[in-house]
Amino acid sequence: MANNTNSKAAKPEKRSLVSPVVAAVASLILPGLGQMLARRFRRGLIVFASVASITGLIWWLFVDLSRSAQGIGLMLTKSLRRAPGFVILVLVGLVVLWLLNVWDAYRETQTRHRADPTVFILIGIVFFVLGWQISQIDPVTAVVELPDAWPPLSKVLWPWEAAFERDTDVLAASADILTPCDDEPPPEAPEKVEGEPYMVASPTCGDLTELDENNQPVLGTTLHLSASGFAPNTETFIFWIDPIGQEFRIRQEGAYISVMTEADGTFEYDVTMPYRLTPPSAEGRQIHEIEARQITEVGGLKPSEPLRLTMARMVETIFLGMMATIFGIILAIPVSFLAARNMMSGSFLSIALYYLSRTVLNIIRSIEPLIWALIAVVWVGLGPFAGIIALTIHSVASLGKLYSEAIESIDPGPIEAIQATGATRLQTIVYAVIPQMIPPFVSFSIYRWDINVRMSTVIGLVGGGGIGFLLVQYIKLLDYRAAGIAVWFIAITVAILDNVSSEIRQRFI
Amino acid sequence: MLEIRNLTKIYDDGTVALKNVSFTVEQGEFLIIIGLSGSGKSTLLRCINRLIDPTEGQIIWDGVDITAAESAELRTVRRQIGMIFQHFNLVKRSSVMTNVLAGRLGYADPWQSLWHRFSPQDRELAIKALGRVGISDQANKRADELSGGQQQRVGIARALMQEPRMILADEPVASLDPVLAHTILGDLDQLNKEGMTILCSLHYLDLVQRYASRVIGLKDGEIVYRGSRADIRAMTDEQFKQVYGAEAIRVAAGLEGSLG
Ligand SMILES: Nc1ncnc2c1ncn2[C@@H]1O[C@H](COP(=O)(O)OP(=O)(O)OP(=O)(O)O)[C@@H](O)[C@H]1O
Ligand SMILES: [Mg+2]
Repeated sequence: MANNTNSKAAKPEKRSLVSPVVAAVASLILPGLGQMLARRFRRGLIVFASVASITGLIWWLFVDLSRSAQGIGLMLTKSLRRAPGFVILVLVGLVVLWLLNVWDAYRETQTRHRADPTVFILIGIVFFVLGWQISQIDPVTAVVELPDAWPPLSKVLWPWEAAFERDTDVLAASADILTPCDDEPPPEAPEKVEGEPYMVASPTCGDLTELDENNQPVLGTTLHLSASGFAPNTETFIFWIDPIGQEFRIRQEGAYISVMTEADGTFEYDVTMPYRLTPPSAEGRQIHEIEARQITEVGGLKPSEPLRLTMARMVETIFLGMMATIFGIILAIPVSFLAARNMMSGSFLSIALYYLSRTVLNIIRSIEPLIWALIAVVWVGLGPFAGIIALTIHSVASLGKLYSEAIESIDPGPIEAIQATGATRLQTIVYAVIPQMIPPFVSFSIYRWDINVRMSTVIGLVGGGGIGFLLVQYIKLLDYRAAGIAVWFIAITVAILDNVSSEIRQRFI
Repeated sequence: MLEIRNLTKIYDDGTVALKNVSFTVEQGEFLIIIGLSGSGKSTLLRCINRLIDPTEGQIIWDGVDITAAESAELRTVRRQIGMIFQHFNLVKRSSVMTNVLAGRLGYADPWQSLWHRFSPQDRELAIKALGRVGISDQANKRADELSGGQQQRVGIARALMQEPRMILADEPVASLDPVLAHTILGDLDQLNKEGMTILCSLHYLDLVQRYASRVIGLKDGEIVYRGSRADIRAMTDEQFKQVYGAEAIRVAAGLEGSLG
């Protein structure tokens, strides 16, 4: 390919084994074969492997799309119906690729030619199309669903209304209403207590609103409410409470009703008895209740429960990350000496130990902390301790590797120089080894702390404690405001940590 | 007097770096060791203060067998021998002052010094040593902030802190430009005039001619040349190259080049 043109002068061009037409026919039968015969073995192999895997993938996708229809024809028509764009695109792509491969084989037999990447570009494009289908990319849904997703999303983006709340005080007074009226005396008006809210209804018995055969409402009795002892100039809501204790706000002409109290805390109001579906068993004499309620906020703003929980979990998260980092550092220091070549180049045993520890570290490191957390949850149960175990294991592996590389790259010169002054071994370590170790050590440890706090925000997703745990719960409860608070806290904490850690690292380097 | 007797060094991998090397150095000599790269110059110098343990042979210094010295005794020997390196071997992140004070570790209280505590006398000595090499004003900088020539002077000041009777210099000017090479060797020459024994490996013929009181040439770990001051002065470039190989160059040529 490219180096063929460059190295033409240096070594004789490899001549094709076959004529262009033979190569083309060979590639038509088996893609890549012609290129191989033209002694472009690697090119041929790549073309063959690509076309083969593309064909295989297309087959698999068609089987999947046609829900395992029998017969190629049926399979094709079914697939075409379900994803016409994709099927046409990918089939055209395959055919063009096949033909291009034939043309490519034809060209490759010629000794003098420029490197031609067309086949590979097309292979890339076809793989892109396949990838699009396999990973179920669907921008249409993303756009169409956006308006529906906006309300919860906006709550996540700006959740702060739910971050603070005030204590509330409820002022309420109620009166019993009998339905229907009968010979017995209707309920008495409640006793009036000075300083307490008070309300009387008249009459104290009547009929509920009902529906006739045509589902038209037949209005019930109008009750005149007169109340006193409420907070002045405050909105007051009227509730209806049925005999089985269910309460709801009364609506009239579709709107919830409410009254403003007068300056002296009284109000007068007429209410039509609402429609209530009463179970047949409750036929007959029933005592309902009508209630006027004022909800007033008292005192200053205070953090809401989601905010308080989030803060508590955030603190837990930061410490989770911190503890995992500390344990990680403590365990990684001895491990890193085992994994440093210049420390272990003595005997056969130490070299074996070096390779062993390297291998183990690499294996542990290649398993994500989230998976370690799943294992740790099985081991010690849900909670931050499982998270600490998971992050510690991963930290030991990655810090062990980083530290050991730092040890390997230590400059032996200063060690020699300090030894030459007649210093003891301990003095040599303090004056020549430690100063060289501090910058990478601090830098890697801070970096790890940074990673660990980040990781601990998600380790809760699998039950490893920390804020992630809370976040999943809020999302499951559809409490997007609370979830938003948690998300914001994660973002703020990680941003602060980022700055702090880069600041510290700069100081030490 | 330093006496090297039948010194042989075979490295673990089987490389024979020194073969049966014997010579003596009188107190106050400026002995220059020449030889091709890989001829064993560094190995020889490092054997003298036991940074490398020789395989065979003896090194006797004023009646003390350095080859037999262990732990405390070895440290006492080492602290009387200053060493200067091609790449200075300073602790780059430590201050110049700390680097210089480190030269005093062989004398300092082993525990106090771990917390970087040195006696006022030691600190005074460090200031004097820096003054002597002309960089007192750099004391509080980090070592890696200095120029190459300044760093080598810190190296010399560190060696001086040992109040040594002998200085080993392993290609002390190889990574410096010719002008600096002269000034650094001038510093060593001054010390030599005050009675210090100096063993130094060098590459440049005119530096050798100018500063050496005696020369030995190594080739494949063996001494192939011994010459007095007069012998060296009489040496032509051709003879020098025979010992040295084609790599040998005169600093003067480089000097003219660098001064334009
Ligand atoms: N630690 C070691 N292990 C094995 N062989 C070594 C070691 N150090 C040096 N050698 C070998 O010993 C021989 C002498 O090396 P030495 O460093 O003493 O040469 P030198 O004369 O100082 O060379 P240069 O001028 O390049 O510094 C060389 O062949 C070298 O490869
Ligand atoms: Mg050397």
